[in-house]
Amino acid sequence: MKFSVEIMPRPEALDPQGRAVQGSLQRLGFTVEDCRVGKVVIVDVKEENKTKALEQVHQMAEKILANPLIETFEVKAL
Amino acid sequence: MTLHTLESKLKHYRLSKAEYDLMKQYIGHEPNIIEWALYSALWSEHCSYKSSKVFLRKLFTTHPRVVQGPGENAGVIDLGEGERVAFKMESHNHPSFIEPTQGAATGVGGILRDIFTMGARPIASMDYLCFGSVDNNHTPKLVQGVVKGIGGYGNCVGVPTVNGQTTFHPSYNNNNLVNAFSLGLFRPGEEIFYGKASGVGNLIVYVGARTGRDGVHGAAMASESFDSDIEKKKPNVQIGDPFFEKLLIEACLEVMKENLVVGIQDMGAAGLTSSTFEMASRANSGLKMDLKRVPLREPDISPEEILLSESQERMVLIVEPLKLRKVEAIFKRWDLACSVIGEITSGEKVELFWGEECLASVDHKPLVDKAPVYERPYELPTLPITTKITAGEPENLEQTLVRFISRPEMASREWITKQYDQRVGAKTMSACEDGVALIRLPDSKRVLGMATGCRPLLMAWHPEVGAQDAIALPVLQMAARGVKALAVTDCLNFGNPEKPKIMGEFVSALSGLDKACRAFDTPIISGNVSLYNETLGVNIVGTPSTGIVGIRRDLSGPKSVLPEAGLDLFLIRTKDESLWLGEYASLIENTKPQGEARINLDALTSLQQVFLDSSGIAVSSQVVGRGGLIMALYKLCRDGIGIAIDYFERDRSIVEFLFAERFYAGVFAVRPEDSVRLIDTCRHLENFVDIKKIGKSQNDELRVNHYLNVRVESLNKAYQKGLGGIVEKMA
Amino acid sequence: MKPVGVLRFLGTNCDADVIAALDAVGIANKYIWWANRFEPSSYSAFVLPGGFSYGDYLRAGALAAHAPAMDDLRKAAEIGMPVLGICNGFQILCEAKLLDGALTKNISRQFQDEWVDLEQKSTQGFWNSKVRTHFRLPIAHSMGRWIAPADIVKRLEDNDQIWLKYAKNPNGSLHDIAGISNKAKNVAALMPHPERAMDDWMGSPDGKFLFDCLKAGGL
Repeated sequence: MKFSVEIMPRPEALDPQGRAVQGSLQRLGFTVEDCRVGKVVIVDVKEENKTKALEQVHQMAEKILANPLIETFEVKAL
Repeated sequence: MTLHTLESKLKHYRLSKAEYDLMKQYIGHEPNIIEWALYSALWSEHCSYKSSKVFLRKLFTTHPRVVQGPGENAGVIDLGEGERVAFKMESHNHPSFIEPTQGAATGVGGILRDIFTMGARPIASMDYLCFGSVDNNHTPKLVQGVVKGIGGYGNCVGVPTVNGQTTFHPSYNNNNLVNAFSLGLFRPGEEIFYGKASGVGNLIVYVGARTGRDGVHGAAMASESFDSDIEKKKPNVQIGDPFFEKLLIEACLEVMKENLVVGIQDMGAAGLTSSTFEMASRANSGLKMDLKRVPLREPDISPEEILLSESQERMVLIVEPLKLRKVEAIFKRWDLACSVIGEITSGEKVELFWGEECLASVDHKPLVDKAPVYERPYELPTLPITTKITAGEPENLEQTLVRFISRPEMASREWITKQYDQRVGAKTMSACEDGVALIRLPDSKRVLGMATGCRPLLMAWHPEVGAQDAIALPVLQMAARGVKALAVTDCLNFGNPEKPKIMGEFVSALSGLDKACRAFDTPIISGNVSLYNETLGVNIVGTPSTGIVGIRRDLSGPKSVLPEAGLDLFLIRTKDESLWLGEYASLIENTKPQGEARINLDALTSLQQVFLDSSGIAVSSQVVGRGGLIMALYKLCRDGIGIAIDYFERDRSIVEFLFAERFYAGVFAVRPEDSVRLIDTCRHLENFVDIKKIGKSQNDELRVNHYLNVRVESLNKAYQKGLGGIVEKMA
Repeated sequence: MKPVGVLRFLGTNCDADVIAALDAVGIANKYIWWANRFEPSSYSAFVLPGGFSYGDYLRAGALAAHAPAMDDLRKAAEIGMPVLGICNGFQILCEAKLLDGALTKNISRQFQDEWVDLEQKSTQGFWNSKVRTHFRLPIAHSMGRWIAPADIVKRLEDNDQIWLKYAKNPNGSLHDIAGISNKAKNVAALMPHPERAMDDWMGSPDGKFLFDCLKAGGL
């Protein structure tokens, strides 16, 4: 079962990448009010039960995929 | 106000009842929220040095070559020929335990700012790292994270990391140490800038990154031990941006070069608060600031949060009104925020506004100059336990040696140093693994040398001895490469000062540090104190890490490895050399250290002189450090050229001879035709110093009498295992 | 003599080293600020130094490739002027599509600072040392693994665009590639840092030969 884990910097944490990209986009003439850069991890879990699979992906995200001190994550079924 | 409220306030702001009473006395009324915040930050241990000040005052800090001693952002020494350098070392321990990568990264960022805020371009960094046991659960993650943080920040900002030290000891299990050193260069004619808010009517200009909620109450956190609440104690983690810092370095150096600022200071621990109050205090002036004008990352940050925010990469400039336009133009060019947030006033008050509303009018004197100074009770440590070295000859010496040098505690640090850009700036002459960093100065073409010191195992044995060694060993290592040590910076990492035994460690260590500095004529020009390194009641072993800087006139000097076979090897040491079995006892025998580490500072200055003289003759050199003579010999063989030792110390066991740490000795390799000259260097100091020919360099093998004959290749294989034992545990 | 233009982006940190190297071999040089437009004919050649332009954010070289100055650098490349990219400069030239392929994360997934031995595989316009074909230069990068689709690699091989190869591949670059050029051979780039190997005391003098080429090329 496929899931995507969207990992973003915590809203209150500084996002150096987002800040730099926003600057570049603005210089290219785009009006950008905010920009945050994160990553997407797509996992295909070997589990038939959707609830169980979802729980596993949440565990993956909490344990290793995201750093809860500075990142938040959102899990979506694909 | 009910007692309950007061109690919770004291806890929140981390002040004692006595401190609260004193604060009330100074202010003259019940403190408001802003005043609580200010006192909390500036009277924290981290900012006020309240537990250590009284002892630091007694240190050896003045000297003709010192241009700026402790008290400013960094210390500065005069190297002669118009060249001056600023350097300092700083700790970022607690944050690096919580979030290793960012904690270490922001530590590097902070120390860099302390350097370039003086007007010196940072040209070299070093790191001093202490982790818990190799097999402790936290260690792999911490090593990985810290190294990634230091490398990631230093490499991006373009300052080479040229040297360092990494040790493992159980006392750091829940309290690892990250000490960052940085050095900046003033080229001939370049001016030094200070953090002084002087000139009534001059503008207070905020530059750099916008302010967010990073690390609110961080300074207070660094002043408190960890308890089981550690998981909940997550301030908003400070995130460093080395790209931004690079822009800040360029913009700030430019405004300083163009003489556009009167004073400049970085915002470090306790952010805007400490920088502005310290600047006002140094200049004995007043300030008026409108916090509403501080550029913010989020719209709803409160004035208290603004004052205490530890958002990174921000500076405060003091600018004459007529020069503001030019300053703004430079910061605009470098894409950095630049906002006038206040001005200097007459008097001694700092007035904080929120638009029109006056939030507080605070006298800075009590906050900075009259912060409490404690003479905490202390219990000096007892004399060290000296024993006979009883470790017996191992059944298989070769196997034991291989096992010893492949231990992560002893093995190669290449896994770490490979992640550091050691050569950006095109001035680096050495490699991290050489032990003493060498940087070529662009103007005089002389060589700047630097090294770090402090051996935790020795500190655990006795703080005063360990502290003396924290100066002596790097000074001798530098001398063996032809570098004369000139000055010192230190990072005093200790446990809970409210415990007399810990305070005693501190006092004892400072005494050792001071004695050694005086003996070698190397003043302490800057430093940092990190107390409360205690978790769940367990304190770290007191660790006064040092960063030592010196100069070498000649472009060339002894290398750290043997370049060829056929060289003569000599052992030069103090006549009263003492032996102490430290690392071997700990790692192989599983016992406490044996023997005696006796440091005779008088003899050491003679040894330093002999090492300096010998460096002009020797082809290669290694001072005996951790792991004893065999480690020094092995390190010389790292390039593949081996050694044949035909010398033995009759009254010593093979374990003592090979593995005991020596106080002090060095191995020097010379061309046979230069042997006589080398022996001559010791002649006029033969009351203190002894020289013995111990062998020759040869191809492929390391042989010690009939005891040991091993291929250098297999030793290299063992040594290169490096930190693999730890790092492999990481995904 | 027209100066060599040394591009400086926000975050570039090896520019001073490149200037020092050009000074050392006696070649006039001048900074080109990323935000400014410039007239290519005012210069004799161009160097894009190493460093971390824009912190390597998003992708190394990605943001710098769109700097205003790059419009004119593109023009200069199109009319055949000599352009050298070093490390981050190589990354920027690839992102700007002035060179083929892309520089990705080292196989080790770590930053690597080490000395490497290189072989000059073919001649590349100005950047061709006739004195040496083997170089010992330092690398210092985390995104040095050059990759490209098979057909592009073949094209480079057929057109003799592969300039330098590692004797011992440190980062997983396809075919051990350390440096390449464009078809016209006026734009060339390498991951190692020649400006950090200008003298024995730096660890190797081999980088100097590359800068000497520029001088020998009649600039």
